[in-house]
Amino acid sequence: MKLFFLLIVLSLLAPAPSRAGEAALQTAVRLQSVQADFVQEKHLKILARPLISTGAFVFQAPQSLRWEYQSPLASVLLMHNGKVKKYIEQDGEFREDKGMQPGSMQVVLAEIANWLGGRFTGNEMFNVSFPEKQTVLLTPREQGVAAFISSIQLKLADQQGLLDEVTIFEGPESYTRLTFSNRILNQEMPVALFIDR
Amino acid sequence: MKSPVCVFFILLLCLTACAAERQRAMPEMTATQDEAVGEECVAIFPRGRWQFIHAIDFSLGDGSGSTVIGLTSLDGDGFGCALLTIEGFTLFEAVCRGDGAVEVRRAVSPFDKPGFAEGLMRDVRMIFLAPATDNVRYGWLAGHVPVCRFTGADGLITDIMPAVAGCWRINTFTPALAGNRSLIGRSCRKIDDIPIPAYLELKDSGQADYTLKLTLLTAENLNR
Repeated sequence: MKLFFLLIVLSLLAPAPSRAGEAALQTAVRLQSVQADFVQEKHLKILARPLISTGAFVFQAPQSLRWEYQSPLASVLLMHNGKVKKYIEQDGEFREDKGMQPGSMQVVLAEIANWLGGRFTGNEMFNVSFPEKQTVLLTPREQGVAAFISSIQLKLADQQGLLDEVTIFEGPESYTRLTFSNRILNQEMPVALFIDR
Repeated sequence: MKSPVCVFFILLLCLTACAAERQRAMPEMTATQDEAVGEECVAIFPRGRWQFIHAIDFSLGDGSGSTVIGLTSLDGDGFGCALLTIEGFTLFEAVCRGDGAVEVRRAVSPFDKPGFAEGLMRDVRMIFLAPATDNVRYGWLAGHVPVCRFTGADGLITDIMPAVAGCWRINTFTPALAGNRSLIGRSCRKIDDIPIPAYLELKDSGQADYTLKLTLLTAENLNR
């Protein structure tokens, strides 16, 4: 779950591409809000065909988030004022998933605040490099994180501060790719979006 | 306020009821030589290459639980399975080859506990694979329910009922003939002549004491 939130952070705030990578890190884009649709492909060695999920998210600075899957399993994750809730559709009704571990979420919320503050290079979890223009590669510094993911690749959009694609590599032949579309920046979002399912 | 004796009596009744549930006796079977029953039993299992995705709602004996996504890939010989968070992170991934060898490729805590992989493989086998034994008898249970009774080399007995309420059920029993696991399929629909349940409920009343509720998200026949 912790890594999931980190992914969200990554999708919200991409460092601006530049000739000098380090310079780019100093000009992290500050967003007030962003919303987008996404398609998520899960690839595993055992799967003949990837698992495709679709959904949408809304983020409002400093720490409000609505991350929603529409298919194949409808679910909504809400974060607002330090509270985190998750609802999953079961038998046609949304029920709160009490099996979450809020402890790890609080840690990631702190990470979100860091990134929003432009403290990108200060991130203790990842080393940041720019292997290509428009591409950012994050590799874990901590063994604890490396146990979950081997690297994260960000494909930057033409519009500064947004991403086209995020790929999380868990290991050989195992990765998750998120492709974003219909992105809208800096619109005022009603608080209810982050509270009500 | 109930008296201590009354409370004790109620507790005793509850414990007796629980014990009865845990030690569900194997029902009597009226044997038949009709091999068509056997064909019906085997026909509930997908053959060849398939890929299934389920939402799995699990609950433990202490009332805790959550929902994960279960991936199962059958190749006609062995199978692969994985558990993911709804957000797509891999919690567990393993393959079980035709010879029974299990390779765990990834297991995140608490799914790395001893015995978890074996237990999951056992669940997957129960849901998707016919018992690996030729020792089978056919017959009818009370209510004229057709049944195939498989007895494994280890003495475990598996009753497959291919036609119950429009779907199928499987019960297993210890060598002492006490019920230890049950699998109920509901709302079956045929995909390429295989009755695929929209819902499955697997109860293990052994030491692990858990219930899995599976909701089918997708079923793909990869043989086509």
